[in-house]
Amino acid sequence: MNRISARQLFFFLACIAPVGKLVLMPAQLVHDVGNDLLFPAAINCLLQSGAVFCVLTLVRSQKSFYTLVAERAGRAAAKIILALLMLFLFYAAIMPILEQSLLVQNIFYDTLPSVLTFAPFFLFSLFLCAKPLSCRGRLWDLLGPLAIVAFVGVLAFSVGQADFGALLPAGISGVGSIFKGAARSLGWFCDSAILLVLLGKLEYRKGIALRGMLFYLLGGAAVLLFLAVFYGVFSDIALRQIFAFTKISKYFSGITVLGRIDFLFIYLLAFVMAFYCSLPLHACVECANLLFGDGKVKTPLYSAAVNAVMFSLTVLLNLSFLRTGEVILYKLFWIFLLFCLLLPVLSVFLRRTPHEKF
Amino acid sequence: MKNFKRTLGRIPLKLYLFLGAALLISFFYNDFGLVDIQKTAVILAVGVDRAEETFSVTAQIAVPKGNDRTTGGTSAVEIEGKGKTISDCIEQIYYKTGWVPKFVFCNLILLGESLVREDVFCALDFFLRNEYMPDSSLIAACEGSAKELLSSASAIDDAASLALEKLFSDAAKNAGTVMKTTLREFAVGYYGADESGYMPYVHALDQASGTDGSAQETAEGGKQNVAQTEKIYSAAQTALFSKGKMVALLSSEETFLYALLENNVSTGSFTAKQGEEARSFTVLREKGKVRLNIDGFPSVSLTLRVVLRTNDRASASPVGDITEGILSREELDKAERTLTDLFSSLWEKSVLGGCDLFRLNRTLYRSSPEKYREWNKTLLFALQPDFSVQAESVN
Amino acid sequence: MNSATQTAVTGNLDTDADALRRKLPAQDIFSFPFRSERGIRFLVFFADPLTDKELLGEQVVRPLLRYEGTPAAAQVGENLTAPERRAESALDKLAEEVLAGNPVLLWEGMDKALVVGTKKVFVRAIAEPTTDVAVKGPREGFIEDIKINTSLIRRRLKTPALRIEMLNVGRRSHTFVALCWLDGITPQKTVDEIRSKLRRIDIDILPDSSYLTHFLISRPHSLLKQVGTTEKPDIFCAKIAEGRVGILADGSPIALTLPYLLVEDFQSSEDYFVPSNRASFTRILRLLALFCAIYLPAFYIAAQLFKLQLFPVKLLLTIAGSIQDIPLSPSLEMLLVLFVLEVINEASIRMPKYVGMALSVVGALVLGETAVSAGFVSTPAIIIIAFSGIGLYAVPNLIETTSTLRLIMLLIAGSIGTYGIILFTAYLLVCLVTTENYGAPLLAPLSPLIKHDLRDALVKYDFDALSRRPVALRSRNKRRHA
Repeated sequence: MNRISARQLFFFLACIAPVGKLVLMPAQLVHDVGNDLLFPAAINCLLQSGAVFCVLTLVRSQKSFYTLVAERAGRAAAKIILALLMLFLFYAAIMPILEQSLLVQNIFYDTLPSVLTFAPFFLFSLFLCAKPLSCRGRLWDLLGPLAIVAFVGVLAFSVGQADFGALLPAGISGVGSIFKGAARSLGWFCDSAILLVLLGKLEYRKGIALRGMLFYLLGGAAVLLFLAVFYGVFSDIALRQIFAFTKISKYFSGITVLGRIDFLFIYLLAFVMAFYCSLPLHACVECANLLFGDGKVKTPLYSAAVNAVMFSLTVLLNLSFLRTGEVILYKLFWIFLLFCLLLPVLSVFLRRTPHEKF
Repeated sequence: MKNFKRTLGRIPLKLYLFLGAALLISFFYNDFGLVDIQKTAVILAVGVDRAEETFSVTAQIAVPKGNDRTTGGTSAVEIEGKGKTISDCIEQIYYKTGWVPKFVFCNLILLGESLVREDVFCALDFFLRNEYMPDSSLIAACEGSAKELLSSASAIDDAASLALEKLFSDAAKNAGTVMKTTLREFAVGYYGADESGYMPYVHALDQASGTDGSAQETAEGGKQNVAQTEKIYSAAQTALFSKGKMVALLSSEETFLYALLENNVSTGSFTAKQGEEARSFTVLREKGKVRLNIDGFPSVSLTLRVVLRTNDRASASPVGDITEGILSREELDKAERTLTDLFSSLWEKSVLGGCDLFRLNRTLYRSSPEKYREWNKTLLFALQPDFSVQAESVN
Repeated sequence: MNSATQTAVTGNLDTDADALRRKLPAQDIFSFPFRSERGIRFLVFFADPLTDKELLGEQVVRPLLRYEGTPAAAQVGENLTAPERRAESALDKLAEEVLAGNPVLLWEGMDKALVVGTKKVFVRAIAEPTTDVAVKGPREGFIEDIKINTSLIRRRLKTPALRIEMLNVGRRSHTFVALCWLDGITPQKTVDEIRSKLRRIDIDILPDSSYLTHFLISRPHSLLKQVGTTEKPDIFCAKIAEGRVGILADGSPIALTLPYLLVEDFQSSEDYFVPSNRASFTRILRLLALFCAIYLPAFYIAAQLFKLQLFPVKLLLTIAGSIQDIPLSPSLEMLLVLFVLEVINEASIRMPKYVGMALSVVGALVLGETAVSAGFVSTPAIIIIAFSGIGLYAVPNLIETTSTLRLIMLLIAGSIGTYGIILFTAYLLVCLVTTENYGAPLLAPLSPLIKHDLRDALVKYDFDALSRRPVALRSRNKRRHA
């Protein structure tokens, strides 16, 4: 349980990472670029897969990100960078968790409940974050196939309703808007930053970087397919469908007889999402472990602190979700640029032997 | 330090105990502002009417029949709420019944005649915004008041909404007798480039009741033992909408042709009349195609291929003829002429009303946004449709 | 030497007898003195209810009465006709043997005593276990006697590689515990670890093998089962042959096996005697039944309280109709029905058999039918709990865990609804995934995913595909058959 195997990592990159992009991001992209929503998503998938490749080239050293930086730039610099990364991961977790809280209120209840119904998530997150980060590998072994089943189920129920012609005319929103849309949706693509924290826990396998990138692209393709179906189903009213994956499957004709059987797949995806949402917080706790030392008492304390602060933020920002999203995703998008693209790409220079095979 | 660590070490156990206690308390107390099945009004259908500045919403609420399941079926009660907005009306329904109205099972929105004369999205906006209202619910316009239609006693089911649901079944759609649409589909048309849509137009017909009177519950005065004529419903006509307003009404024959062109029909039938003589045809296979040509001046060609067999000659025929059902060329010509005539009236109604029934503006926008910007206001009027129908006999 | 502080046999019969008597003051411990023909004084200590006196007379006393040799232990021993005998000098050990039913023979002039194996054996017949029933396959079950149990194992594994190591557990009960494994297959590290844990156990008495589990697992407070149990020697042997360690305790018919994988309990011995497609089907059926049993009551409550959309509209109206006049809230109603089921379950296990029929009538008719007609509970609630009750027994070995989980799920569903169920499931998953004993992950081969072991997990492949032992158990010899 101390290591995450390549297979487990690939499950994460191809099956679990895409799940976090199926809730609010589709409607946000429609807001920014209308029917061109595939382009910014594709740009981010490509950039992020490059960043994933860069990070995974460091797996061979079997050293943690902290050790790698410390070897190159000294312990003080390593501590500063790790502390910044820790703060970023916490920051990056805000939107997915706020999104999750709204999603929970929407799909698990018939009437709008109190935000307190989301509080148990933080208990779960507290428990999970107190476990070693490497236990995620085994979780991914199970969650990967579950995510595939759920994703295929949701798509199978909805693809018949999709009018893919709605994606035309392609590029109508203009190149500028597409890149702006890509920059604004960068906040949903933080996977390479999380991988930085996983360094040192990943088992090396020949070709892991290249395969990791390809698996990430595979996951990205799944997201693009979902976006296409989503826009095909809702077309001009897609902007209103803020919990995308919960909306597209309800038009399946079997539902009238059997009830909402699509909820089975929706709940499965929500189940996988619960793990995905807590991942940045878990990575944040792992950074704290590296910075301040770990232990049977310390790690649960970090976990409790991180989750308590996040819970307070959720309660505080629950009703100002749009404003929060605007600030985090639109105004401060450059923070994601720094940590999700620049830092992973620059981390390539931490490699000792530049010509080793990936 | 050791004591501190020991204290911290005991926290998980205490936390579990605390969580267990909290769980038990919330289990027995259970109040997060949530509404359980016993406090819920399960709305099966809503009818919306408009009188000047006021909306009137009639909710048909299912009433459980208790433990006795021997009688079967579902009884329902209609509650009306009035207000300046749809939300006001729903609030009123809540005040009247004490039940929290839930739309999650609402499968039909019925729009009264008074409402469809203006932009229906002044009412549908509420349902589209409501996260708990399924946009997969069917919408239909009705003759007269939606309240009256929903409150009428159905001859074929316990509640009018359930009877209407039967009319909007997939089988009816496949037979081309109804052009059903959902809130989502209608909204996509409304907000799209074509700004048009359609929905079934329902009217109630009297059916002599075999019983001496039926008990009907009303919000005002409980049960009334009033003899009420039972109704049967028809949704064979289709209301056409442009910019949210009803602009035309297709007859049942035109509706059938429209269904053929939209490739909705798997097995349906129509009747061709020529003078005194009438022939009924069964459509066994059909393929409708609408093609917009934007090279040069825009034009549209609509083609329809149908494979037919005779259904009824309104006169005695030899047994071999009945078995084979093969159509002669004359009969096929008659069918083609009927369909062409129907198309002319269908096209005329839609163009005059400004309803882009075949989503030509949308097609234009998707293929050439520039031309769309140039032509979108005049496209329908400028187009000369080229309709061709090719009827073949089953052999 | 003072007999009170004496620790070993001295050769002075009076002193030794005194010392042993001090250690065994109970009134059912007898001593029987006699002399040989040459006048050597002998004394036999034995526990009256546990020793076969006839055998003692026949195999020990009668030969020694005619004994004409010297007091040398080897000579005396050779003259006994008892096949099981052993020299011992420590008084504590001798006292233990007497209490175990083995008589101790002391005689003048020898600083050693002989422990003779003439224990009286009270055993019930080998019968089919009631908790581990299979329609096809062997019907033998373990009994309470450890020797017979080990003989049942030895009969199936006639190989010198089968190791059976006897340990003594219990400060006062001195219960024999047999550690069984196959040398060359089971990882030595696992054997050593279990042995050292068993040796470290410090408890008064060991009434049953289940007492051992607490000391053998990594998370004693966990809700999850972490030790395999069986009452059938064929299953026990099959598990040992896969590379596990088996543990038997004297006085208990339930054998333990370690390391434990959760998937074991979804397998049945019968799966190996029927075609693989049938076995796969029944395994999946067990899993589904268990899922339904745990989740169905919870989802039913959650749907009624928080998410009506989970019901099709017609079913919803039926349910709404049936609960219309029920005075309890849906969650309390379900809790009440579950409580009644658990009471009936508990009572029917312990109730004398002749009142069982009456209980069925009371349970099914009075509590079921009458409660519905009286309007205390609704019919759907009873149907759901009844199905759940049956479903749990599709995997009987997990019943303690699953019935608790069902109750917790119900409480959570009644408190926060479906999201609570999802989160608790996620919590359980984390617990399952992070639990491992003796290097074997509890959830293997599903997590970590072990492709090879999936051949005999929820789906069972053909015999040919199972030629290698499970990878998760890290057995030293990988090949099972050609």
